[in-house]
Amino acid sequence: MKREDLEKLAELSRIELHSEEEEKLLRDLGKVLDYFRELQKLPTDDVLPVTGGTSATNAIREDELDMHIPGNAARAAFPEQEDGYLVIPPVFSTEGGFSSGEE
Amino acid sequence: MELENLTIASLRNKLIQGEFSAAELTKEYIKSIHENDESIGAFLEVFEETAKVNAEEIDARILKGEELPPLAGVPLAIKDNLLIKGTRTTAASHILESYDASYDATVTEKLRSAGAVFLGKTNLDEFAMGASTEHSAFGVTKNPYDTERVAGGSSGGSAAAVAAQMALGAIGSDTGGSIRQPAAFCGVVGMKPTYGAVSRSGLIAMASSLDQIGPLGKTVEDVAILYDAIRGKDPYDATSVETDPVRIFNLERVKKFTVGVPKEYFIDGLHEEVQRGVEEAITKLKTLGVKFKEISLPHTRYAISTYYIVMPAEVSSNLARFDGIRYARSPHISRTHADLTRKYAENDERIPRDSANPRWSALWEIYFRQRGREFGAEVRRRILLGTFVLSSGYYDAYYTKAQKVRQLIARDFSEAFKEVDVVLAPVTPTPAFKIGEKSDDPLAMYLADVFTAPVNLAGLPSISIPVKKYKIGEKTLPIAFQLIGKHFHENDILSIGGWYEKE
Repeated sequence: MKREDLEKLAELSRIELHSEEEEKLLRDLGKVLDYFRELQKLPTDDVLPVTGGTSATNAIREDELDMHIPGNAARAAFPEQEDGYLVIPPVFSTEGGFSSGEE
Repeated sequence: MELENLTIASLRNKLIQGEFSAAELTKEYIKSIHENDESIGAFLEVFEETAKVNAEEIDARILKGEELPPLAGVPLAIKDNLLIKGTRTTAASHILESYDASYDATVTEKLRSAGAVFLGKTNLDEFAMGASTEHSAFGVTKNPYDTERVAGGSSGGSAAAVAAQMALGAIGSDTGGSIRQPAAFCGVVGMKPTYGAVSRSGLIAMASSLDQIGPLGKTVEDVAILYDAIRGKDPYDATSVETDPVRIFNLERVKKFTVGVPKEYFIDGLHEEVQRGVEEAITKLKTLGVKFKEISLPHTRYAISTYYIVMPAEVSSNLARFDGIRYARSPHISRTHADLTRKYAENDERIPRDSANPRWSALWEIYFRQRGREFGAEVRRRILLGTFVLSSGYYDAYYTKAQKVRQLIARDFSEAFKEVDVVLAPVTPTPAFKIGEKSDDPLAMYLADVFTAPVNLAGLPSISIPVKKYKIGEKTLPIAFQLIGKHFHENDILSIGGWYEKE
């Protein structure tokens, strides 16, 4: 795995890389991917891939309203609220932001 | 009060006969936690007050002569990736450090209505990702047999709590061995039920096609009682199914079982004491009259590669929900831009914002920073690995390939189960390893799952049972074996294990 690959993955995963551990991460992931190579030797052309943990199909239920977690309890799990609204950090800005020091 | 010989099976009569009260018992366990957990580190939180109140409610029911539910007054430790309404549930991650569960996991609800008393939440590898509980954001859980060694993982806190008499039983989760391996390292019994036998509603998901909740206890009988209380179909988990009630078969029926021993599990690098332990278990079961047969599970050697492709793929998807905004808010994020800017400026000189990237936004940056900082190294590694194997251009070579090999591994077992009823195998290649021995080398840690992960890939039930202890220097370390059953045949492995234990 190359450094650009790692940076691309970090971007896809929304994970900020810690510069001091990038080298080790590249090494570790490289080692693991090398280990995976053993699978390539195994012929699997006629094998259907598994698609989940169970072979059960069509788990259906009645289309009924179920207040398993009432709305207020679900809301209470949100970290910050005001007057019944959920408070989130400012997210729509595309400029200014973290470096300006001004609101 | 003597906790060491107390079992869930024996508790009921002691409570009814008034030998001690549920409140006294709970108090005794809380005392044991206070005395022992500083050196072990099994608990992330202890519910001293609510445990007392719940135990007193059981005592009141005993006084009134009411019919007692199956787990009346049983003090349990719960892995901290299972939700208990109104209490902190962290999955041992900084990203959930301030998250309070808004509902009960189905398992929690079942245990509660069965009369269990929750003593506290136990430590785990962050989001259950690890085989040693060294990857917890809140400290390592040490092995009660030797505190220089790991308790195993990821349910290390639950296993150590039972082993060190800090809980009468415990609940864990097993995605690639996370109940059985710590049970083996700590000398307790642990069972991973069949995929679908226990509802996963309220379990913080790691890899949804592999995760399964299960019990840990001192004896096979105790594990059977706990499993019976948590199993069954649940509308909140579409993969769950109704299963047979627990039944321990009589010896005549157990004698009719044929147990398979897979030759592929006796590899180079299998610790000689583990090998000896497994042989001892086989000898003992032979004297009970159980028949044995050598079998082959030819794709065993591919299980680690397969598991470490499928699992991280699911991890990368499941953990996408942790954005640092919902569930719990890190102190790095606050309401206004000014606060935010100040906090970052205080903590960080480097602003990674890439104005050249057209997709940059404040939201983008929050995600990056929260997930980069609040997830630990192993979690970040698995998310990156999972994103890689699912990414365009690599998907077929890695993910599809692994899902095909998973089919072959599952087929190995179904072929074997045409000839035998149960499979007996080692749980781990070695006894508990030293703290720090593998924590820096992911691949070495992953290989510790070689005998447990195939069972999850195939969705089968398996129970880890201690067989002996061996002396190493001044200390002794436990050795275990596992019995793997057919889908939904928990009663087969519990019965063989139960008779094994009795002899």
